[in-house]
Amino acid sequence: MLHKNGFVIRDARRRARKHFTDPSRRRGLLVAFEGPDGSGKTTQRKLFKTWLRSEGYDVVTTKWNSSELIKPIIKSRKTVRALSPEEFSLLHGADFRHRVEQTILPALWDGKLVIADRFLFTGLARDVARGLDLDWVLKLYQPLLWPDMVFYFAVSPITSGKRVTATRLPNFYEAGQDVTHVEDPVESYQHFISRVIREYESLALIFNFITVDAEQSIGDQHRQIRELFLEGQRRPWSDWNLDAVADWLARTRPST
Amino acid sequence: MKRSKPRLIAVDGIDAAALVAAAKKLLGAPGRGGISHWDASGVFQELDVAGPIAGAPGPRTLLLLYAADLAFRLRWEIRPALAEGRTVVAAPYVETAVAFGRAAGVPQGWLENLFRFAPRPHETCFVPRAAKRARGGIDGFVGFGCARLGGRPAGRTPKQIVACAAKELRRRAVSAPRRPAPSR
Repeated sequence: MLHKNGFVIRDARRRARKHFTDPSRRRGLLVAFEGPDGSGKTTQRKLFKTWLRSEGYDVVTTKWNSSELIKPIIKSRKTVRALSPEEFSLLHGADFRHRVEQTILPALWDGKLVIADRFLFTGLARDVARGLDLDWVLKLYQPLLWPDMVFYFAVSPITSGKRVTATRLPNFYEAGQDVTHVEDPVESYQHFISRVIREYESLALIFNFITVDAEQSIGDQHRQIRELFLEGQRRPWSDWNLDAVADWLARTRPST
Repeated sequence: MKRSKPRLIAVDGIDAAALVAAAKKLLGAPGRGGISHWDASGVFQELDVAGPIAGAPGPRTLLLLYAADLAFRLRWEIRPALAEGRTVVAAPYVETAVAFGRAAGVPQGWLENLFRFAPRPHETCFVPRAAKRARGGIDGFVGFGCARLGGRPAGRTPKQIVACAAKELRRRAVSAPRRPAPSR
């Protein structure tokens, strides 16, 4: 009975490749914005989205920890500070998987441009900074869906700390107080974000992120993103994403 | 004072009521230890109140949530009891989720990695579905998962997933013979 799955997956892979390599339709594109808190991702994402719309793109945005199904579960546990690093990781992984299946893949299938304000690399950087094993965390996110482009907004830990604490105190998990055990949230944030940035920098090398110097002016960053996007948008569909799409297609029947 | 030997006994099966009955029998006297039940963290209870607009979860989403609940049970119920030298019956434990995942088309390798954090139990008991409930609906994780799943994972209906999960558990029980289920 288990063999039936093999046929379903093979058929789904064939349909996925055919759909995404069809030259007669506009291919969906996935662009991820990554970086530590206070790196200006959200500002840049909004500017980029406005520009893309003016250029005629059909744009969908998805944010980290935002699924209607899982977000309330995470929120209630964060409020009472009840999450261990494993639970934190698994619940964010569930939220991500649900958004991949409910928002990202359907939009890509329909030829839309998806901007992800944080992607799975956020989970990797934060979870590894919390002491979890990179290999274990990475496999939670399988089958991996690779963005067409990942813009990494690089700032120093000091800049991140200054920007985040300028108007408010970082919350318990944002400051990493669950793992630093430092009572002062600002001091804890500084320790934790240094670890997170170290992990991001490793990921940027491994996964070939496009690094944007987020210490530059907002306008300069935006111009750079436009140019890099225009250079990279015509890249062909990557078979690396075949497993992720087939996994989704194996249980759904999107319109063609 | 002589410290007793801690024991983790996993009880796996698709029928939640049969699991609880088997767990009680295996534990014997309540003073020996305790039973760790599915959804002790309340994750699935909260999931159940989400409206249809939130979308139906896929098998991997449900399994990640199961693992999060199991991590909670390990932290608050299972490990503390074992540290006190007590017996803990985990009903269900890892095999139930693996069987559900396999039935829904999730690769074995992904499931093995997911539950890498869970310690190996000292023994595992597989519980067949109670005969009188065989034709009715089921509750527990497999029943919940099948009721909430979106689409047709691996081309199967929820009923087929239940049957396939039960078959997978039987196969695992045969391939890794462990302690038989206590008689009713």
